Amino acid sequence: MDWRRFAIIALIIVVMFGTVVLIGTSQNSPLVIITSMMATTIAVATPLTLGALSGIYCERAGVVNIGIEGMMLGAAFFGWLAAIYMNTIFHYPAMPSLIVGVIAAIITGGLFALLHAVLSITFKVDQIIGGTVINILAAGITGFLNRQLFFGAGSVFHGQIPNAPGVLPTIHIPLLADIPTVGRIFEQQPIAISAILLVIITHFVLFRTRWGLRTRAVGEHPRAADTVGINVIRMRYMNVIIGGFLAGLGGAYFTLEAISSFEANMTNGRGFIALAAMIFGNWTPFGAWTAALVFGAAQALQINLQFFRELIPPQLAVLQNSYVVGLAPYLLTMLILTGIIGKTIPPAADGKVYEK
Amino acid sequence: MQSTADKGFIRRLGQLLNPLLVPFLAIVTAVILGGIIIKVVGGDPIAAYKGLVQGAFGSPSALSETAVWSTPYIFAGLAVALGFKGGLFNIGAEGQIAFGAVAAALIGYALPGWLHTSIPPYIHIPLAVGAGILAGAIWGGIPGALKAYTGGHEVINTIMMNYIALNITSYLLNGPMRDPNPLNLSARTPEIAVSARIPPIFDIPGMRVHWGFVLALLMAVVVWWLLWKTTLGFEIRTVGANPDAAKYAGINVKWIITLTMALSGALAGLAGAIEVTALNYRHELGFSTGYGFDAIAIALLGKNNPYGIILAAILFGAMRNGATRMQFLTQIPIDIISVIQALILLFVAADAIIRFIYRIRAREERVVLTRGWGG
Amino acid sequence: MKKLYSLMAVVLLASMLLSACGATTPTPAATQAPAPATQAPAATSAPATQPAATQASSGTAPDCTQANVFCVGDVTDVGHVDDKSFNQSTWEGVQKAKTDGVVDWAQYIETSDSKDYAKNIDTFAQAGYKVIVTTGFNLTDPTYAAAKQYPNIMFIGVDQGLQKDANHPDWPLPNLVGLVYHEDQSGFLVGALAAMISKSHKVGGVFGTDAVPAVWRYGEGYAAGAAYEDKKNGTTTTVTRVYHNDVGFDKTFTDPDWGATTAQSMIDKGADIIFGGGGITGNGAVDKAAADKVLAIGVDTDQYYTLPEADPYLLTSAMKPIPGPLEDLIKLAKSNKFPTNGLYYGASGYAPYHDTANLVPANVDAEMQALLKGLTDGSIQTGVSAAKPAQ
Repeated sequence: MDWRRFAIIALIIVVMFGTVVLIGTSQNSPLVIITSMMATTIAVATPLTLGALSGIYCERAGVVNIGIEGMMLGAAFFGWLAAIYMNTIFHYPAMPSLIVGVIAAIITGGLFALLHAVLSITFKVDQIIGGTVINILAAGITGFLNRQLFFGAGSVFHGQIPNAPGVLPTIHIPLLADIPTVGRIFEQQPIAISAILLVIITHFVLFRTRWGLRTRAVGEHPRAADTVGINVIRMRYMNVIIGGFLAGLGGAYFTLEAISSFEANMTNGRGFIALAAMIFGNWTPFGAWTAALVFGAAQALQINLQFFRELIPPQLAVLQNSYVVGLAPYLLTMLILTGIIGKTIPPAADGKVYEK
Repeated sequence: MQSTADKGFIRRLGQLLNPLLVPFLAIVTAVILGGIIIKVVGGDPIAAYKGLVQGAFGSPSALSETAVWSTPYIFAGLAVALGFKGGLFNIGAEGQIAFGAVAAALIGYALPGWLHTSIPPYIHIPLAVGAGILAGAIWGGIPGALKAYTGGHEVINTIMMNYIALNITSYLLNGPMRDPNPLNLSARTPEIAVSARIPPIFDIPGMRVHWGFVLALLMAVVVWWLLWKTTLGFEIRTVGANPDAAKYAGINVKWIITLTMALSGALAGLAGAIEVTALNYRHELGFSTGYGFDAIAIALLGKNNPYGIILAAILFGAMRNGATRMQFLTQIPIDIISVIQALILLFVAADAIIRFIYRIRAREERVVLTRGWGG
Repeated sequence: MKKLYSLMAVVLLASMLLSACGATTPTPAATQAPAPATQAPAATSAPATQPAATQASSGTAPDCTQANVFCVGDVTDVGHVDDKSFNQSTWEGVQKAKTDGVVDWAQYIETSDSKDYAKNIDTFAQAGYKVIVTTGFNLTDPTYAAAKQYPNIMFIGVDQGLQKDANHPDWPLPNLVGLVYHEDQSGFLVGALAAMISKSHKVGGVFGTDAVPAVWRYGEGYAAGAAYEDKKNGTTTTVTRVYHNDVGFDKTFTDPDWGATTAQSMIDKGADIIFGGGGITGNGAVDKAAADKVLAIGVDTDQYYTLPEADPYLLTSAMKPIPGPLEDLIKLAKSNKFPTNGLYYGASGYAPYHDTANLVPANVDAEMQALLKGLTDGSIQTGVSAAKPAQ
């Protein structure tokens, strides 16, 4: 693999963490700061990782997907809705309701992906436009339904705020979670854990299985793949829908794991950041994951610089300005796209319509 | 004689209107589907649409407001379409608009102070608007140059540039450019000088339509002329259609890509500059209205044709403007407008659906607007 | 084959839309629940739990131009009337006036772009509305202009603290009142309580952008209150405040995920009380704190009623109740006793402790009441400026 890329990413994260440790050391011990920053990093990276993996499945098969944002938003809403219906209307206990919610979110992601597949593979609509349609559609539908269902006395819940079934429980990873201080990193919720597992699984699927080989063939040389008997259309459909499932799980993170409510447009552009993470990571699962961690670390940096605002020495006053610090991840992404740490190479047939 | 002339006229009219057929049917279908949704959730679609039309076209002031709404849509739609023509997807109109607005506001309120003199409007207005155009051009040109010379894809770069523009604008409006009036609590610039203001067309209270709208219409003509009547336009279209062929034809592809994005950014910057100089007279840190994404939809609906974009922008402007009255009369959430707009876009993009429903034969070649990340 | 695919797409799309919408069918107009018999006192009432009469079930609009038909219009700031924040609180106030029979007809218009402020106000004015409520300090200037244009209509500007200056030379106008709050006092109160209750003497606050003065006043008041009690009790409480500045104005109050992450980061570093101040972003912080079994402080309304899942850990809320004072103002407008000095201060305060009352010792509760009294009569000052000084 591309060790130089990982080394540079690791260096970036170390610099971010180190800055905060140096500033905050008089208030909190370095171990506490690093643990807390790592926890933040993992939390922020979870939806980004899942979104990026979603993009990898689609694009490795040759379908550009900028609709991840819309898929996540739609999944966040319908997953949450399903959980609330199960819990409040059908009176199921919290845990089964949440599981149904996660499944509903995954299916919603899959349905949006199916729409994308129909548009871009069957109707041969420009793939970026298909994604844009999904983004606008998801924002409109979720905003409209959220209002119709939950606001005003005529709504399903008579204007009352339904009691959400809470969030997915925290899992204590045995032994590791018992380590003092650092153990905090190993207390994670299920979607955060599955995001990391899915990185490993996706890597294995893409590079160690027949399915992965075929997927990559379809994304690199669809015509050649076709001649050796791979059904290009079918492979593309399947991979786009699998990608949708992953984006759906990423959406579930927002309303079933992070917090227990839905707000209009609550994904707030994270689908696009996920897309950037995918490219940043050169269309590889581990690359995308480390890129998502960089975005997570940047967020942790920003929160913590405000946290320790009073301790920032005057010669570093610029770090007190959250607008300036806020630029870091975006500038970094652009820098990486220029090829400074190795060129990013998309699958050769990415975004190209396959005509038999 | 008379009848054959008529037939020829009708045929020519038919040819003229034919490209409008699918978008028209797409709108009709989306509106019907939107009506079904309203009905299903217990609203009255007829009343809703009546309110929408009334709010958009029902009175002189309604028409004026529709024009006010359409103005930035036309500029931004042209910006995105110009990019598409050059094979580039400018998803960063939002940031370019913001930068255009900031630059125009700065020149608008600060220039007289810098020069220690008042400036006549015929100099001040062009300078302020020009600053907005320049700022937009730079903000669009950077991702263009990155695309041309390093291969960094413009979709990701323009998205990143949107966030960067957001942060810088917030910083400026909270810091150096903040209105210093001690009573001001908002993150906003001071008001621009009277000499930098583009006047409204009619001197009637409540009629806010301004000369910026006329400029937007003119700009559509200019973009059409640029694309189809100049060498540069030919080069842009050639690069957009087939960069390899363009290279063999001796076109400086890298330069054209950079220039296309800069011009696209300039048009978006103009949208922001006009909002400041002709409407708001200051730039305020506001809630983003999503012009960037609406502009994509408008460019697609207008089939990347400048005149089509005028129609599409007026349609979107009318829907956004009329939504107020629709909600006032029926209390249907404004979000339904977004749903209808997404459906319009869906049916325009996937015109096979419309052709299938209405049994229209495919006639034209499919337009490829963008290519994958690599090329 | 091609046709089959097209058909499939249409069916897919239609089913996606309709299945989603089908859920709303059980909404008969007659299900409006009767108002609860026992009304809680105004300061502690639970707006969100009371069924607000909705537009759909309340018939068609009367002719508001008639002199005897008292109509009230509400123009929101950019955003939605169900934002669980100031837009929603304002609309609840208007609705409350309608439920109580003060108002014959109430209606809202949601603003989708700041350039529509004037147009939306005008829509109500043209339709003969007697009172127009505008929400948020962004509408200050459009409201002032409309009040001058329509001297016979009463205007109430929520969060609009005006003064006489070059841009508002005729202030105060007899038909314009700004409903304003001392958010710094509310923040001060909960900050003092946090400093007295915290065991780790580390408390955190998660806020929207400090470019909005009310948010800034909450945050700085919070720190000032903690410092006040520290000085009194000889303690040292670290108050960390994190404002959500870097995402642009439209997301700063609607990013619960960020709020939750930030709260988590504070808890990880030892904070044992989290103040979530800033719309939905703050709600994310309160939710997260409660999920981690850490005490939380809500904002604006008594969030015991708006965030039920956080109830067991909700210490109090920094109150800025809009509905009560707003209804009072509407009543005054109706009875021609509209204030003429241009400003109307809503009471600042803190919400009851509810489920956490056993954590608040009697002496702390007595101190809180003394602080509230001192802030109200002016013997205690928060020392917080009206807005963040320019950087």
